Amino acid sequence: MTSKHDIDTQYNDNQTRDLDMNNIKISAKKVQVYYGDAHAIKDVDVEIQDKTVTAFIGPSGCGKSTFLRSLNRMNDTIDICRVEGEILLDNENIYDKRVDPVQLRAKVGMVFQKPNPFPKSIYDNIAYGPRIHGLAKNKAELDDIVEKSLRRGAIWNEVKDRLHAPGTGLSGGQQQRLCIARAIATEPEVLLMDEPCSALDPIATAQVEELIDELRSNYSVVIVTHSMQQAARVSQKTAFFHLGNLVEYGDTGQIFTNPQDSRTESYITGRIG
Amino acid sequence: MTQTSLFTADARTTKRNRAEKRFKAYGLTAISIGVFMLVYLLYTILSSGLGAFFQTRVTMDIPLVQEEIIKAEKGLLKTKAYKKIIANALYAELAEAGIETTMKEKELLGIISGRAPAELRSFVQENPDQIGTTVEFKLLAGSFIDGYMKGRVVRENAERSKNYSIAQLDLVDQMQKAGILKKGFNLAFITGNDASESSPEAAGFGPAILGSLAMMIVVAGCAVTLGVAASIFLEEFAPQNRFTDIIEVNISNLAAVPSIVFGILGLSVFINYLGPISGDDWIKNNSAFVGGMVLTLMTLPTVIIATRASLKAVPPSIRDAALGLGASKLQTVFHHVLPLAAPGILTGSIIGLAQALGESAPLLLIGLVLAQGASAPDSIAEFFAGPNTAMPAQIYQWSTRADPAFYERAWGGIIILLVFLLTMNILAVILRRRFERRW
Ligand SMILES: Nc1ncnc2c1ncn2[C@@H]1O[C@H](COP(=O)(O)OP(=O)(O)OP(=O)(O)O)[C@@H](O)[C@H]1O
Ligand SMILES: [Mg+2]
Repeated sequence: MTSKHDIDTQYNDNQTRDLDMNNIKISAKKVQVYYGDAHAIKDVDVEIQDKTVTAFIGPSGCGKSTFLRSLNRMNDTIDICRVEGEILLDNENIYDKRVDPVQLRAKVGMVFQKPNPFPKSIYDNIAYGPRIHGLAKNKAELDDIVEKSLRRGAIWNEVKDRLHAPGTGLSGGQQQRLCIARAIATEPEVLLMDEPCSALDPIATAQVEELIDELRSNYSVVIVTHSMQQAARVSQKTAFFHLGNLVEYGDTGQIFTNPQDSRTESYITGRIG
Repeated sequence: MTQTSLFTADARTTKRNRAEKRFKAYGLTAISIGVFMLVYLLYTILSSGLGAFFQTRVTMDIPLVQEEIIKAEKGLLKTKAYKKIIANALYAELAEAGIETTMKEKELLGIISGRAPAELRSFVQENPDQIGTTVEFKLLAGSFIDGYMKGRVVRENAERSKNYSIAQLDLVDQMQKAGILKKGFNLAFITGNDASESSPEAAGFGPAILGSLAMMIVVAGCAVTLGVAASIFLEEFAPQNRFTDIIEVNISNLAAVPSIVFGILGLSVFINYLGPISGDDWIKNNSAFVGGMVLTLMTLPTVIIATRASLKAVPPSIRDAALGLGASKLQTVFHHVLPLAAPGILTGSIIGLAQALGESAPLLLIGLVLAQGASAPDSIAEFFAGPNTAMPAQIYQWSTRADPAFYERAWGGIIILLVFLLTMNILAVILRRRFERRW
């Protein structure tokens, strides 16, 4: 049942999106990341906008994942990893001593390269985040969140009859969509995705891309990808990394049609990487 | 000429196939030898030990005449008077069965266990209302008579033995035919108290089982909780630095330390040092609590190593997933990592417990091998603190005694110990299956 109300809100969303496009959600200033002595991210300055899909591209080992993980302090879990510089989320430095990374990660969700569902039921996979953050007051609300998240993860139809079957029993592509649904169930403000489609077939990839495009209306999405086409299809902004440096950052259209840096051009045209 | 047929194996293939066949043969041989040894071991244990679960008893009616009992209680050597009562009852029983005997009272009583008079007396004292009636008793036969019934004692040696005579054995044969003397299942071996050196027929494994149980409770409570907590901290929370490396190396080394060293440690730390300081009743020589603590020290490294290994085996992607959703480290560990590691932790802990259950060397040093017979505790405090023993210690104790009847009981004790170990291992398998079914 699509009511007039739904259509109205969608319309309003589209209206406000253009305004929000220019709101800066995350602003990184002179970020350095070290693994022990290895300097993995060098002097990166970048501003990620709200309600926008930002793509990180670059050759393997250039530090895309590293930088992405520093945006929600997942690097804290690696003992030898050290981050310097400032990363501001809504103008608050997330590396400030007062920031609890646990609270931060509830706001900045993450989808990993390899699907990693919990070895629990599909339902519990989705419900885990809302449960620990107290997002549902009762079982009915939780059921609601689970259904909504699975629908938005474009996997509801496939799993609605077996919500209590193990999440690990799904196919790779289904697992990845489950992980995306799990990440959005906690209502994050930013969603970080590290090569979310690398394990998916073209059909599932298309579904995920559609999903990313839809997520854009509510979230700021950052996606790491090795596929130029994918970056071009889903993102509005693109950042090109090379050997730990942010070489070029700008509108996706401009990066792909008129790159300023010769390294960007070589990478996009397939000469390096 | 280069063309070869797939139907004929070439030289290299034949050689490889032969090597494979040889290897399989080696493997089969190794397994067969192992199985044969196991079967032989089990056969030896069962054939030597099953006898302990059966005991010869003499069934007879004993009239509890009031005057006789009052007279017995007045006397100086009370059990001597009870001996007389038993002897008279046995003469009557034999006469009733139509067995004629000219045997002297002393020789006749040699058939019955030396413990019988005391047993009769304690029955009378516990059941004064039965005085004046005739009660049927199943009195233990002496250990040599029992040995004769089990084939351990043979007629040929009777002439040289001070302990039994041909006449006794003849009478036993007749009594057996008449149904007065029978070999039956011996529950007292499992539940009863240990007995003195002179009456192996009355010795039971009960206190040893209880003592082991008390120690296992202490070990399960201390080693498993401490070990799992330490492993979780080391594996999930502690930073990886030189200090934790040193701890890790030391834990691995501790696992290889001979258990007797832990016994000495327990003796010096718990009994000689902590005991006098605390003045606590539980911390003293031959208390099961101290035994449990010593076994805890010994088991901790095993539990820690097993727990850390199973925590390590949990894929890091699960931790990433939970942390990425905004779970705290503690939530990640308790909601996701620990349930996945649980089967391994359980198995490791139960193996540690089983090791502790079978350990005797450290217990020797802290007085848990009682030379005098151990008796069952009568309170919880006694259960943990009273003079105690453990199953392997009791087995060792019995095996050092002279009478071959104790040897049989030592084997019987081994059977009970093995049953416990087997139960624990089956429990480990069941628990692991159960937890693993939840993926
Ligand atoms: N845990 C780690 N410890 C040490 N060095 C690391 C670690 N993770 C990454 N690195 C190093 O940091 C650099 C950047 O790695 P990163 O994973 O960010 O690359 P990437 O751009 O995501 O590559 P890919 O496209 O292959 O995923 C690499 O040189 C890598 O070797
Ligand atoms: Mg990567």
